[in-house]
Amino acid sequence: MSVTEVDPGPKGAAHGSDLAVETHNLTKRFGASVAVDGVDLLVPRGCAFGYLGPNGAGKTTLIRVLLGLTRADAGSMSLLGYEVPRHRDVALARVGAIVDEPRFHAHLTGRENLELMAAAREPAARERIGPALERVGMSARANDRVAKYSMGMRQRLGVASCLLGDPQLLILDEPMNGLDPGGMHDMREMIRSFVAEGRTVVLSSHLLDEVERTCDAVAIVDRGRVIRQGPINELLSGANMEVQIECSTPDVARQILASSGFAEPVEVGADGLTISLAAGSDRSIVAELNRVLVDGGVSVYRLQLNQASLESWFLEVTTRLGAS
Amino acid sequence: MTMTSNLAVGARDHRGSPIPTGAMIMTRFMELRKRRGLVIALLAVNIGLPTIFLAIRLIAHAVAPHSYGVAGGYDIFQTLIVAVMYVFGFIVAATLGCTAGSVDLSEGMFRHLVVTGRSRLSLYFARIPAGLMIIVPIVAIGIIIICSVCVFAAPTKLNFDGANNLSPGLSRQGFITWAEDHPRVAVCDMGYQYNKSSSSTAHVNCGPNNEPVVVTNRSGSIIATPATKVELRAQAIKSAKQNYANYATTFLSPPIKLMIETGLWVELWAVMGFLIGLGLSSLMGQRTVPVVLLIVYEIVLTPLFSRVGIPHLINVQRGLVGLAMAHIEPAGLPAVFGGMNGGNKLLTESTTVAIIVIIAWIVIWTGLGAWRMATRDA
Repeated sequence: MSVTEVDPGPKGAAHGSDLAVETHNLTKRFGASVAVDGVDLLVPRGCAFGYLGPNGAGKTTLIRVLLGLTRADAGSMSLLGYEVPRHRDVALARVGAIVDEPRFHAHLTGRENLELMAAAREPAARERIGPALERVGMSARANDRVAKYSMGMRQRLGVASCLLGDPQLLILDEPMNGLDPGGMHDMREMIRSFVAEGRTVVLSSHLLDEVERTCDAVAIVDRGRVIRQGPINELLSGANMEVQIECSTPDVARQILASSGFAEPVEVGADGLTISLAAGSDRSIVAELNRVLVDGGVSVYRLQLNQASLESWFLEVTTRLGAS
Repeated sequence: MTMTSNLAVGARDHRGSPIPTGAMIMTRFMELRKRRGLVIALLAVNIGLPTIFLAIRLIAHAVAPHSYGVAGGYDIFQTLIVAVMYVFGFIVAATLGCTAGSVDLSEGMFRHLVVTGRSRLSLYFARIPAGLMIIVPIVAIGIIIICSVCVFAAPTKLNFDGANNLSPGLSRQGFITWAEDHPRVAVCDMGYQYNKSSSSTAHVNCGPNNEPVVVTNRSGSIIATPATKVELRAQAIKSAKQNYANYATTFLSPPIKLMIETGLWVELWAVMGFLIGLGLSSLMGQRTVPVVLLIVYEIVLTPLFSRVGIPHLINVQRGLVGLAMAHIEPAGLPAVFGGMNGGNKLLTESTTVAIIVIIAWIVIWTGLGAWRMATRDA
């Protein structure tokens, strides 16, 4: 990444912020329903940030508020350090976004649609049409009418439209929707390459696996509220782990562990044991388990420590919150 | 691709300004002109219909000149302008306006454009010159075709109220002299409105077999006796005097001044149709209902409420833009939507009020559309 020049920008704009997106107590209501409920969101620059939540959690509404597509009822927000909506024109000049599914004028070609969008940006945006199409792999089909495009091609065209403004921040709402496995892989690679160039990518999705593979940090949103946010590895370090043990006599192994004072829950299966470890447990406990079992005369064939996945952690967090 | 630009570009290119850039206007023009169905409809109504009509008349006259009259002339000009260009030109222009005002929303492009940070007002205002770049030339071409054929294929002799082979451009005295020389034609072919209060007196009329007779009403019974040459000539002079005003505004071909005025008047109405359609569809966020409303307005409501005065609502009716347009219609054209020769007269309105109404319609609909565009959720 190279940002060769940074203008001071409009007077009063906090352009030097380390945060690409910052919201405080952001609220959006639709009648009695609260779609975004006092959200405090901090997205650091230069990372891929996942905005995770089930369908109807308010992900798209938050994006629409950030981009000025709809008005917030309360709270404050800034993009790339510029307070919006006050400096919306300056902030959005370096933001690219896809909101909901990417839709275009179907009677125009992909290139013509991009020309329409480039015209609303600075003159240099027109020169970026070709490179943007090439980058998303759409050069060969750029002169076909969008009516003939598949969903995946429209997604790619949507990403190309984001690149017209040479964005420092990309906001992609469910970009994997409608993509086949190959397309999802390409999209993942593209997002990682954007981050490698120093751009910030905010990725809204309900596909936990994709977010875990793509993003550095996440925020979990449920019923309009952000319930957790931070780097994925830090969040998962607070999640439970489990040890799977394949051994000769699982029942005997269980008795040995119980008599040795292991208090963690143990499940006995046909091939061995599964032991749940509390969050933050030290890795040395795995070696200790092995030693106790071998000393007790149990043959241990395999020991595996499983870190919780984002999916299991997400379910754990949301289940806990739902229960409380 | 690497990031090489700076953040304040949005401030430098005046992205918050409501004034659209040339590139925005040209790309919007491209988007509209590539709507094939709509552009074909525009071309068919404004150029196709008059062209086909005139072409058939040209061919028919060329093949059988004694059976079919010349293709052009003043009458044809009047008919095509008032019955085709004025009415249908408005409707297709309004359809284009409704399309320009609603498709970004319905086709999901509005949010793509809003997230560029560009002022919503400039996105809206870019549609006005873009749409006019389509409407104005198409209407102009249609009018030029009509004017050309009507001038170059005009008759050489005037056909005035059934009086064939009448020379055009006669003075009042010349017209009276012609009537004296052709008393039978003047009496039998040209209309004459008798004064009802003098219906009991004798007057010359055309009897059976086109024979001039003196009609006398005696105690309720009508008596017709053959007219003498003196009586016939006297009636011809009276008929010529009464018809001169109409004759003076009847031409072989449309005068240049009338063609220019008519062109501007039809263009103005088409522009109005586009702007009203644009504003209304932007306000409603859709195309179909505004198009239907404007067709009903043009075909039903305007003719009705321009002529039938409703007590206590007369001043509201005077706010109809169709009535205002009718009041600035160039002299020399028949009244739009009929109403002449015994039909209901237009509601009265001064030219000043008509101009104010037209300006108000442009400002109000454009303002409403712009306001909704600036405030709606994208």
